[in-house]
Amino acid sequence: MASVSGWALSPQAEAAKPEPDLAAGRAAYGQYCARCHGPQAAGDGYDAKRLYPRPRNLTEGVFKFRSTATGTAPTDEDLFRTLTNGLPGSGMPDWRHLDEAVRWQLVYYVKSLSSVEQDAPAQPVDLGRDPGPRHADLAAGKRAYEKMGCAACHGAQGRGNGTSAPSLTDTWGRATRPADLTQGWNYRGGSDTKAIVTRVLAGIDGTPMPSYAEAASPNDAWQLAYYVRSLQQDPNWSMIAHAPLAREGLPASLDDPRWQRVPRVDVRLRNAMNEQGEWALPQTVSAVSFRVVHDGAAARFLISWQDPSDDRGDSPDGLALALPSAKVVGDSVTLQLWPMRFSPPLDLCVWSAKSLKTNEGVVRRYDTLLQGASQAVPLDTQAAYEDGQWRVMMTRPLAPANLPNAAQITPGRFTPLAFAVWDGGNAGQRATSSWVDVVMDAEPAKAHASQ
Amino acid sequence: MRREPQYTWMFLAGVLVAIGCGSRPQDAAATSQEQGGAKPVRLAQATEGSGVAPAPAGSGTIRGTVKFSGAQPAATHIKMDADPQCQLQHKEPVSKQDVVVNPNGTLQHVFVYVKSGLEGQTFAPPADAVVLNQHGCMYQPHVMGIQVGQPLEIVNGDATLHNVNCKPANSKPFNIAQPVQGMKSKKQFTAQEIMVKCACNVHPWMAAYVGVLPHPYFSVSGEDGGFSLNRLPAGDYTVEAWHERFGTQTKTAHVGDGETASVDFDFSG
Repeated sequence: MASVSGWALSPQAEAAKPEPDLAAGRAAYGQYCARCHGPQAAGDGYDAKRLYPRPRNLTEGVFKFRSTATGTAPTDEDLFRTLTNGLPGSGMPDWRHLDEAVRWQLVYYVKSLSSVEQDAPAQPVDLGRDPGPRHADLAAGKRAYEKMGCAACHGAQGRGNGTSAPSLTDTWGRATRPADLTQGWNYRGGSDTKAIVTRVLAGIDGTPMPSYAEAASPNDAWQLAYYVRSLQQDPNWSMIAHAPLAREGLPASLDDPRWQRVPRVDVRLRNAMNEQGEWALPQTVSAVSFRVVHDGAAARFLISWQDPSDDRGDSPDGLALALPSAKVVGDSVTLQLWPMRFSPPLDLCVWSAKSLKTNEGVVRRYDTLLQGASQAVPLDTQAAYEDGQWRVMMTRPLAPANLPNAAQITPGRFTPLAFAVWDGGNAGQRATSSWVDVVMDAEPAKAHASQ
Repeated sequence: MRREPQYTWMFLAGVLVAIGCGSRPQDAAATSQEQGGAKPVRLAQATEGSGVAPAPAGSGTIRGTVKFSGAQPAATHIKMDADPQCQLQHKEPVSKQDVVVNPNGTLQHVFVYVKSGLEGQTFAPPADAVVLNQHGCMYQPHVMGIQVGQPLEIVNGDATLHNVNCKPANSKPFNIAQPVQGMKSKKQFTAQEIMVKCACNVHPWMAAYVGVLPHPYFSVSGEDGGFSLNRLPAGDYTVEAWHERFGTQTKTAHVGDGETASVDFDFSG
C-alpha cells in the first residue's frame, strides 16, 4: 500500500496519480465533502455552522496550506497532503482511508472549482535546505523568533497570547487566533519542521499569518522552525488518571516540588455549542492538564490550561471540575450537551477568576454556582496566571459531609470527572472535555512502598 | 525583487520621453515618492517598443473640491496600547482616518478619478513606484491611486512587525511580513479595481485603500478638500468620487484643449 507520511509523497503515491476524471471527482466530492463544504462548494454545507473554523468556500480559490507564494495556487501535492492528513484542530478530518486514486480525483475536482490556477499559477517558495537536527541552532532560532516579530501574535513563549492575538480576523471577517506553538498536536498544517518552515515562508492565505519569503532567508526560517518545534510539549493524553496517596502530606502550593512526582494527564477540550447549535467562536482553550493526589481524606487537584488572556472582570475566566452527583446512576451526560432540559444534576466545583475562589454544589446549571449559590460549599483554592497560562489548585474532601448528593470518591474505585473552562477574553466561550476516570490509589505505589 | 529587471528598460524609456512631457496628475503617487525618497520621474503614457500607441498628451483639467455637509463627526482616537512601538511615534493621540473633515468644511481622503470617457486609449504604466509607507503604525498615504502594472513599493518605517495583507478581487492577493524597519517590498496590481484594501493584522486599526486604474487620471482630496485631474485629452468624462464610508458620487464634465472644467462633490454623511 502506498502511503503518505508527513511530507514526502512516496514514489508509489506519485505513480498512482491518475488522469483527471472530473465526473469521478464530483461524485466523490458529493459523497465525502459536500456535507460541510456545501453542494456548490461555497463552504455552506449542512454541518458548516457546527464547525469552527468554518469549512472553506472552495470556489474562492484561497488555500491556507500551500508550499507556494502568497496569493498563488497550491500544488496538487499540497491539496493531496491536506486531504490525506486532515487539518488537526479543525473540523477537517483526515481522508487517508480513501483510495489514493479517489483522493487525487478530489484534488483535481477542488482545483476545478476556482480560477486560481489560471489567475495565479502555483509558484513554489524556495524552502532552501534543511540543515538537519544536528545543525539546529536553537539560540539562532530564538533570535529569529524575536526579530521576525512572531511574539506579536504567538506570544513570547509561543502560547498564542501575543498582544495582537485577540483582535485577529480572517479574510472573511471572522475571529481567528494564532496557533499556540506549544501545542504541536493542534497545528493545522502539521507540526514537523518542514511544515513549519513552509508555513513561515508561504504564509497561511486567508488568515493573518503572512509570508516571510521576503523577510527571512530559508536558513533563518529553518532555524526558526527548529526553535518553534522545540516549544512543542508532548501531551500525555489519557482517559485514566492515578492519584497517588501522599504519605508525606499534600503539596502545599502551586509550586510545591512534590507535584513533580505526580503524573500529569492531559485532556482535550472542545468548544460548547451556542444556543443555536453552532460553533461561532474560535477555540482559545484546547486542553487542560491536571494532576491529582490524595491523603485519604481529601483530593488535591493542580489544574492548568492555556488561555491567551487574564480576564477577571465581568466576563471572567473560569473552570468547572464536574463529577456525577451521587444520585445519578449509570452513564453521565456529555458535558458538551449539559445543561439541557431534564439533564441530571452534576456535582460541580466551579472556580471563577473574578473571585479567585471555588464553590462546590450539586446543581442543574452552571449559573447557579457562577453567581454564588447559597447551598454552595467553598473549597480551599490557590490560583495564578502567568504568560498565557492559568494554574488552579483546589482541594475537595473525598466524601463531603455537608453537601447533599455530592459525589463520593472511594479509593481504589473509578471516579469519572470532566472539565469545563470559560475564556472571558473569548466572549465567555465555554470549552468542555469528555469524562476521564480517576483512581485514588488505595495503597502507595510500589516505588513509594519500598521507602 | 525578481521583477526589477523587467522595469529597467521601461524606466530608461520613461526618462527619455518624460523630458518632453512635463508633469502628470499623479498627486497621490508624487506625494508618496517624496516621502519614500524615490526619484520623482514623470513618465510618459507610452514607451517605445511597447507596441502601445501613445495616448494624446492632453491639456485639459478637471478640478474641484469635495465638500462635506453632514454633521461633524466626533474625533475618535486610536488605541495603540497593544504595541508600545506605535504610540512612541506619536506625541498626540492619533485620530481615525476614515472620516476626516477639514477646517474649511471639505472632506479628505476622497479618491476622485475618471470613470469613463477614456475608452479605447491605453496608458502604459510608469516605471516609478508609488510608495506605501508604514509610519507610526499608520499608512501613508491612507488613500492612494496607482496604475495597472505600476510598481508599488511598500516600506516599513517602523521598528516593529507589520504584515501587509492586500486583498484585491481582480489581482493576485498577497499577505507579506515586514518585521524589520526599513524593509521594502515591490508589488503590483494587474487589473483595474476601485478600491483595493490593504490592512495590517498586527495593528487592526491600520487600513489603506488603493485605486487601481488603467490610466493616470486620478487624485485624492487633501487638506483643502481639493482635487485636480490634469493633462486630460479634450473630451466628455464621467468623474467619480469614492469615500470609504460614504460611498460614491459621479459627475459629468466636458473639457476642451487648454480648458479647465470645475466639478464639485458634496458628501453629507
